[in-house]
Order: sequence, then structure tokens, then C-alpha cells
Amino acid sequence: MIPFELAEPTSLAAAVKLLDPDDETVRPIAGGTALMLMMKAGVFRPQKLVSLRKIEAKYSGIAASGDGLRIGAMTTLNAVERSADVKKHAPVVTRTMRTLSNVRVRNVATVGGALAHGDPHMDLPPVLMALGATLTIVGPKGERKLPLEELFTGYYETVLDKNELISEVHVPSQGAKKGAYMKVTTGSADDWPALGVAVVLDADGGAIKSARVVGSAATTKATRLKAAETVLNGKTVDDKLLKAAGDAAIEESEFIADVRGSMPYKRELMRVYVGRAVRAAMQGTGA
Amino acid sequence: MATTLNPAAKAGAQVGRSVPRLEGRDKVTGRAEYTHTMRLPGMLHAKLFRSTVPHGRIKSVDTSAAKKLPGVLHVVTVDDVRKVLPHPYYGPAFHDQPILADGKVRFVGEPVAAVISADPHIAEEAVQLITAEYEELPAIYDEVEALDTNIFVHEELKPAGTFADLKHLKGAKGTNLALDYRLRRGDFDKAYAAAAHKFEHEFKTQKVLHLSFEPFACICDYRETGVTFYDSTQGPSFVRTEMARLLGWPENKVRIKVPYLGSGYGSKLYIKLEALALALSMIARKPVKIAYTFEEMFYQITRHPSTFRIKSGVDKDGRIVARKCEVFWNGGAYADIGPRVTQKSGLTAAGPYDIDNVWIDSYALYTNMTPAGALRGFGVPQLVWAYENHTDMMARALNMDPVEFRRKNLAVEGKPHATGQMLKDHPVDKVMDKVLERMEWSKPFDKGGSGHIKRGRGFAIANKAVISPTTSVAIVNVAADGSATLYCGTVDMGQGSDTAMAQMVAEILNIPAEDVRVTPRDTDVTPYDMGTLGSRSLFHMGHAVRRAAEDARDKLKALAKEVGEPEGSNIPIADLFQKRYGMQAGNVIGSGIYKPDYTPPAPGTGQSPNVTPFWMVAGSGAEVEVDIETGHVKITKLVNVVDCGKAINPKSVETQISGAALMHLGFSMFEKMHLDGGQVTNASLADYKIPGFHDLPSVLESHYVEHDQSNGPFGAKGVGEVATFCVGPALANAIDDACGVRLMEMPLNAEAVYRAIRAKQGKPLEEA
Amino acid sequence: MTATRTITFTLNGAPVSADVKPHHNLVELLQTHFGLTGARETCGQGLCGCCTVIVNGRSVSGCLYLASFVDGADVRTVEALDGAGKLSPVQEAFIEASAFQCGYCTPGFILMVTQLLDEHPDPDEEQIKHYLTGNLCRCATYPEVMDAVKLAARKRKAAASA
Repeated sequence: MIPFELAEPTSLAAAVKLLDPDDETVRPIAGGTALMLMMKAGVFRPQKLVSLRKIEAKYSGIAASGDGLRIGAMTTLNAVERSADVKKHAPVVTRTMRTLSNVRVRNVATVGGALAHGDPHMDLPPVLMALGATLTIVGPKGERKLPLEELFTGYYETVLDKNELISEVHVPSQGAKKGAYMKVTTGSADDWPALGVAVVLDADGGAIKSARVVGSAATTKATRLKAAETVLNGKTVDDKLLKAAGDAAIEESEFIADVRGSMPYKRELMRVYVGRAVRAAMQGTGA
Repeated sequence: MATTLNPAAKAGAQVGRSVPRLEGRDKVTGRAEYTHTMRLPGMLHAKLFRSTVPHGRIKSVDTSAAKKLPGVLHVVTVDDVRKVLPHPYYGPAFHDQPILADGKVRFVGEPVAAVISADPHIAEEAVQLITAEYEELPAIYDEVEALDTNIFVHEELKPAGTFADLKHLKGAKGTNLALDYRLRRGDFDKAYAAAAHKFEHEFKTQKVLHLSFEPFACICDYRETGVTFYDSTQGPSFVRTEMARLLGWPENKVRIKVPYLGSGYGSKLYIKLEALALALSMIARKPVKIAYTFEEMFYQITRHPSTFRIKSGVDKDGRIVARKCEVFWNGGAYADIGPRVTQKSGLTAAGPYDIDNVWIDSYALYTNMTPAGALRGFGVPQLVWAYENHTDMMARALNMDPVEFRRKNLAVEGKPHATGQMLKDHPVDKVMDKVLERMEWSKPFDKGGSGHIKRGRGFAIANKAVISPTTSVAIVNVAADGSATLYCGTVDMGQGSDTAMAQMVAEILNIPAEDVRVTPRDTDVTPYDMGTLGSRSLFHMGHAVRRAAEDARDKLKALAKEVGEPEGSNIPIADLFQKRYGMQAGNVIGSGIYKPDYTPPAPGTGQSPNVTPFWMVAGSGAEVEVDIETGHVKITKLVNVVDCGKAINPKSVETQISGAALMHLGFSMFEKMHLDGGQVTNASLADYKIPGFHDLPSVLESHYVEHDQSNGPFGAKGVGEVATFCVGPALANAIDDACGVRLMEMPLNAEAVYRAIRAKQGKPLEEA
Repeated sequence: MTATRTITFTLNGAPVSADVKPHHNLVELLQTHFGLTGARETCGQGLCGCCTVIVNGRSVSGCLYLASFVDGADVRTVEALDGAGKLSPVQEAFIEASAFQCGYCTPGFILMVTQLLDEHPDPDEEQIKHYLTGNLCRCATYPEVMDAVKLAARKRKAAASA
């Protein structure tokens, strides 16, 4: 890595002040596991990094209440993985954690970083989106709330201004809903996914009352698949229904080609895996 | 050097014992020394500026901004190199590779300039300030097209003079052909024309990499009185010779020190960073280190992509009577050892089959890509990929069981190989039987029901000749306390050679292997060895070590006689020295040298009664489950069997078998260097995946048969590569068995399998 | 030139300090300032595990961890495991199971397996695979590593009950 400056403010407010809305070369760093990859690859050459590691402790931690979980943006993925509250209120998140990157990255990477990075291959965003998570965002003008599904605008792009930081994620309790996340790799079993599909279902027996379905990795951004949801809502699960949901999902997704697969292939994967994810959720086996 | 784990180590029966690795303690404590993490006092760091175009003339290189960056000591181009090394070209087969790009660049990633600084980060920053202008030239990437094109990677061919079969290429212009190897046996055309059944297929392999976890690294410390290299190399003797040649110095002024290697798999052979490190140290007049990042490995050396056109004629009884092999090896921009791959592997292109009429053409070709060299198999895995798919395809077309079809055609002992050499110690039948036994081949096999998971199984078998003729030298030094030290140039890069060689010494001197010290490689101390490559070391160096130990033993016996010990005395060695020299003093030094007999193949026909001192034989069996809705393949069982002659260290043999097979599982199933217009698009471990824990087959078995290698040291031969050969075709044959699709090109990744399934259904998936 | 700052931390039990720059990572800090080469940078992406270091009791990828971030932390490396010259049970198990070839990735495996056994003293194969997902071995000694983990678990249990 080539030289840069490092600032370590002790408050979120101070961090926001150090960020410059017009300077691409100043960026916040939380765990740094994703940002450092970009720096090493020369894709991002910072003049200055603003570390969030020393900001107020209240931004690292998980609190459960009647309406779900409040997860501080600086909470590590490892803390999420181990949290009894997360396991109780959002078991699909706990299950997802095990397949997410590796132990060392989870020990360092943060929830806020995983969301703000805007990388469509990350596993956590689609799952939190399917759960209907909401973000608290802090900027120079104060706080605002944003549904997570409105965060991503494109490939590594979000609605965040360069001097805005995610401070907290609110995850509604999963309750009796069934959830699954399927990470589909196409080469080595441990790879970034070629496709991620997250589903959270309000179901009664074999009948789906309402579904939230999110596709990721194969697409330019984690995307809520509303047409697929419409197909599923109010129906009883069978092969025909799931195929119809898969067909609907691919129509509303914007696919990307990369070393993990061509666009036509990723379309076929999604066509199959939307149904498999629904089945896995119904059976409670989804990873 | 006794390990604390085995304080009760005893003499006797050292060969055939699973001695724990002698270097184990250093490795598990993180204290084993590797070049990449080494530092010398006053050492400088170099970082490289690389070409961004695949083929072009260099119009200008602007280093001015880089030179101005504080902390930058030198910015070096080939013009600067010429001032210290007037002929800055190197290579084992051709002197075709410039130390830094000279007038032209021939692949994306070729080093064009180097920055030297005491701080590697400053060097890295300065590299980003260098710019170059190129006049882009059309580029050639495909190995078949390279044979017939007007795009030429090199203006003129420059054979190194080392190999007789390259001499005719000296000065050749207007060609990309770096070797055309031929083998002719019988009359292919006539036999093929008369054959009852004719088959013709074309297979391809992709570009894959070694990716040693210790990336390439070299430190050069040049002084007028002599030069020392600390080098992650598999061939210190070759490096010494080539550096001496570049310097115009005698070899004894060039010293190559080799700590442990964070592996090599063939990538760290011949010259890699050494020539550049030498030039930079001469310019800086200080030790200079070049240590690659992971990404840079994609611009150093790869395995050869290949195209193999194979034709076979089969008679009405299912006997293969004629075979024609045309193999095109994609050597990239510089020949490296490609011409040797082309010839030494080319000669086994027809496989382990008894075929009277064989025609082989094997072509080494230049293209505008990262150079290609040896990778764990020296080209043989690419050949086996083709001929073992071809074998299955013929059997299925003939409605014969693929295993029985092979059995009918195998070249067993006593049959002639395509080169004319009579096959000896070539237990293809034993290896095949062992695979089939472990696969329970004769039992009914469940192919899966009507769901989306289909099951299948496949088999493949292969052989390889060892590279010949090559030489190894070893020294065994017995100290006055009776402890023994072995000096040999075989580089232990993980294969366990130090331990195996120590076992041979120990067997002969009747001491525990744990008590033998193997010196780190240092050309000032360790004698000549051709290189740690091609599974040659256990056989060749093993013989040299055996002879050195026998020489030492004989001298000890003579010493015993000299001091008046009766015949058969078992006086401790230390007492012998005490008697002779009156104190703990003196040495007994034994030496051994080995070079096998060899008859060069006849020009034009490749015929020779003795082209290799031994054959390697391997077989694999695979069971898979294919998800026909997505193309995902799950390997439920993989059995690999090799012939090792005699297992000097059984645990090491097993580890070599499973390690080689799993490495090749990656090449077979998903590894691929992606290129777009000559640009590598996945030069990172995030995008170029290698096998991990979850890629292991549900059942993985590693077995060896011990068929005495009659001319081997203790009946042994090398096994570093052999388990790589058959994994790919065994898997492809299993996939075909499961769902009826045949993939003609590796890797067998989910998308490739899915596309084949769709094509078979008559609903091909659109391209992009 | 970027500013150098002095950090202090505990390294393998001893208090230490070092002058670092913002762009230095933890592997570089250990190698250049302390001569500890057990943590190595291979992939540079936190995927291979060769650079594993334990910071405040948790494993991190030293290649993706800024050196500045260990200011005030407790840092442990593979070099701490054979205190007083005695190999740890995991190290012994790796030698006995022949769970390495070239050895470059081995310190990372040793540290991660030690962490694994601290968390799960008696892991099953699935747990082992999941925990070691981020440790790659190009020599592919995975079957032997699997044996070594099980052997190490037995050794630790035996030592604990002795």
C-alpha cells in the first residue's frame, strides 16, 4: 500500500466533520477488511482515512427490544454471529454468518461497513433487506432513517453522501416468520457467491401469507424481488408456483457477468434458487 | 537434529518408515526461513512497472516523476541494465527473455522498469508515477492460430545452445514455433485407413497457475569479489550457471543460498527474478530484494494451455491400431522450459496403450501471454486430459465397458512404448486393479433417480517418462562424533525430500534418520544437481545419496581396518575417530554421483531403446453427483493410486498423492486464469479460487502399489506429480456417466456442465 | 511523507513499542520491527490465512489490519506457542499427522486450530471445515490437517485431565 494519513476521531460527530463531501480520497474505515482490498489493488488511493474504531462505544453493540434488534454500525460480524439476541430475533442472520467470509474477517469487519461498502456480493445485506431492516444515517445535518432496501443504487454505489455514516441498523424481529439465505457458488465452494437469495416468509403451513425475497451477487446490487413476492403472496407452495416465482425474479433483476458466471447462466441460477430458497425457508434448513 | 518427538529413534530399517519431517519443528513454530520474509542489513527493495499492453513497441518510458519522489534511489530500464550486463537476456531453452523489456513488450504484465528504494512503499508509489507509451501491435493468444499467422512474438529465435533439438531453430524468423517434436512408429496413415472404427476429437486445457503461497522472491547481494543470492528457487545449480554466464564469471564466484521454499510446483525453476535482482544489485551496489505480491505471480509463469487433436483407429475386436496426436502448447511470450515440456511430455502423448502405429506432432508456440512452464506433471496432465476422455468416448461409442476397453489395450510390461523402449517396471494393470477394487467397480452402481441429482463414475489411467538424462551429486560427511551430514542440492519445497534422503543415508550408515542433518541448499557447499523437478529427485538424487553414503560407509570400514579393528567390529564410529586421531577430530567424506543411461531419440521418429530410466504410473476413479438444474458437480468419491516403486517414507507418499490430486481437482473443476484482450481479469485469490476444505471429495483415498523399481535406489521412484495425471479425465468421465454430457475443455465448472446439459437438450444457453 | 507515530502494545506477553506509519500493516510491523516472520503475507486479501495474528484474543488477518490499530492491544503470534521450548499440543499434532508440506501456511493453521479448540474443544468435521474456511493450503494437506485437529483435541483433553 502506498502512504496515506490516518485520523482517529473519538466521536461519530467528529468523524463526520473530518469527512469531505467532495473529496474522493478521504474515506471512513471501520474494520477495513473490504476497503484495504481496494487500496491494495490500487482501485482506491486514499489521501486520508478516518478510522471509526475509537468513536463512542454505543455504536458497537446489539440491543433487543419488543420490535426487534438495534445493531450498532461498529458491531463486528462476529458479535452478530454470537449474539443470543440475534439468534432469538433473527435466526436467519445467525445461520447466514457461518458461511459469510471467514472467522478472521468476521472478527474485524463491521455491520455498517458491510452495508456501506455497496458490494453486491456481500451476504449480510440481502438477508437484512429480506427482514425489512432500517438504517439510521448520521451526517452533518443530523440523523435520518432509511429503509435498507433503498440504500443501494448500483454496483458499489449507495445513496450515502461522502460525509454520511451509518450509525445503527434496526432489524424487525423475525418472529414466527421463516427465513433462508442461499449462497450459490460456482467454482470453489468457498467463494464470493455467484448468486445470493434471501427469503423471509410469513407462512401458515404450506401457504405463504406474504414473502420478502431479495437477490444479490448475480445482480448489480442487492435487489428486492417484488414481482416474485407477488407471485408467492397468498399462495400454497408447489413446484409450479416456485417456478413462476423464479421466472418473475429474473425479469426484475439486473444481472452482471464476471468470472463466476455469464449473465444467462446467473439468470438460470436465480430461476432455480428462488424456489429452492423458499423451500429451504419452509423447511427451516436454509443456511 | 533429532526431533524431541522421537527421542527413542532407533537405527535399522530406516527406509520404509514414516519418519516425521525433520524440519517439522521449524515449520510449526513459524521459524522456518523463507526468502520472501528474509531481510539483510542495508537491503533495498525493488518494485516493478509492468506493461499494460499485450504486444507493442516501446515508444517511450517516462521515469522522471518517479525519480523525483523522495526516497527513490534508482529507476531502472533495460538501458541501465545494459551498462552492467551487456547481453541482458536469459532462459533455459532460448535466450529470449530480457531482464527488462527491450524495445518491445510481449505480454501484459511484462516488467518494463524497476524502482529501488529502502522503503518498499515508496518504491510502490514511484512505480505508479511511471508512464510508458507503446505502439501497439496485433497480438496472438491462441496456440493453434499461433502456428499459422503473420503476427510474430519474436523477431528472431535465439536457442540457448543447451539442447540439441533446438539448434535448427537458431536465427529462424517469421515463426512462433519454439519446437516441433515428432514421433513416428509404424504407419499411422495405412493403419488408420484400414481401421474398422475411426475416432477424432479435439480437447483443450485452460491457463492455470502454480500459486505457491510463498510468492516469488529473490535477494541479490552483488560485490566485485563475488555475488550471493538468497533465492526461492527449485534449481540453485542452474541459477548459478546462468548467473555466471550473464556475468562472464566462473561459477565459484556465484553463490546461491536456498532456504525452505513456500513451495514451487515447477514455478520456481530456471531463472525467474534472479537476473533482474542481479542487475539491480549491481546498479544499487547494495543487496536488493524483489518479493512479489500475490497478483504479480500471474505475470511470471503459468501452466501451458493446450489443444490436443487426437485420432484413433480401432479394429473390429476393440484393439486400438493407430493413433495420431497433434499437440499445441501455448508457451506464452517467452519459451522458459516450454520446449522441454513439448518434447518430454510429447513422447507420452499416445498414453499407456499398446498401439503399433503412432504419429505424434508436438508444437511449442509463442503467444502474447504470461510465459508458461512446468507445473506438477510437466505437461502430462494436459495430455491425459485428452487421451483419457478420448478413450471413454471410443468405448461408449463401441458399446464397450470403458474399463474393459482399456484393459484390452493397456501396454503392460514387456510391450514396447511408442518410443520403442520396452516397458519395464510399468505396472499399469496393478494400478488399475487397485483403483477398481477401491471403487468397488464390479458392484452395482446407483445412478440416481428421476430427481435433479444424477450420479456417475469414471476412471482414467496414465503414464509419464522422467526427464532424462540428468545428473545429481551428493556428499555425506561423517563427523568425529559419528553424526552424519548430507549435502545435496535437492530443494525441499514441501515434498519431504530432506527426510527421505536422510532415511537413505541412515539406512546405509545404520543410524536413525533423525540423526542425519541435511544442510540447507547453498551452492558453495552443496554439489551440483540438475534441479528439483519432474519427480526426478528421489530416483536421481536418491542414487547419488545412496552412493555417497555407501562411499562413507566403505571409508569408515577402511578406517576401522586401519586402526586395527577386526572384521565385523561394531565399534562406535566416534571411537574409530578417537583411535585414529587421538581426540574427537577428523571427518569421513563420501561422495556419489548419478546419471542414468540414455539413448537420444532418433531425429524425426523419436525412437529410442532407452528414453527414460523409469516410468510413472497413476490411475484415478471418481464418483460424482450432478445437479442437472444448475450444473453443480459434487465429488462424492475420489480414489487415486500410484506406483511408487518402494515407499521410502509411506506417510510422505500418501501426502504427495492426496496433495497432488487435490491440487489437480482445482485445475479440473474451477481454476482458470481469465484473459480479456491479453489482460488478466482475475489476478487475485478472491477471483482465482483454489481448493479449500469444502472442496474435498466426501471420500478421498490415496493408495500406492509397491512394484519394485528394479534400477531405483532401494527400488524407489518419485511420486510428486504422478497423482495429478488422471483426476481431470476421471471426473469428466464420471460426469458423462452421470448425465450424458462430455466436456472437451477444462475446467468442469458448474456453468460449463450446465451449458453442456442444455446443449444436449437441444436448448443451448445463449452465450452472453 | 506521512506522519510516524509511536504505538505501544503487548507482544507475546511483553510490553513493546514501535514507530509506525499509517500504511503499515500488522504483518509488516511484526516482521520489520520484531523479526517475527511466522505471520506472512500471501494473498493480501484475508483469504488464505498465512498472516493470522491473535489480537485481543481474536484472530485477525494481519495483512488487512493496520499496524496502528494494535495500539494498546494484546498481540499474540505463532512464536508464542512454544514457550520455554515446549511445543503446544496443536504443534505436536501437526508434526505427528504430517499436516504440512511446504510449511508456509502452517503457522496460520496452527493459530486458527488453537482458537478453534479454545472455542470448541471437541469439534466435529463440519465445525472444523467451517472454522478453517479461511485457511488455504496450496499443497492441499487438508486430510492431514483434519487428522491433526482431531489429534490435537485428544492431546489437549489428555493434558487437561492429567
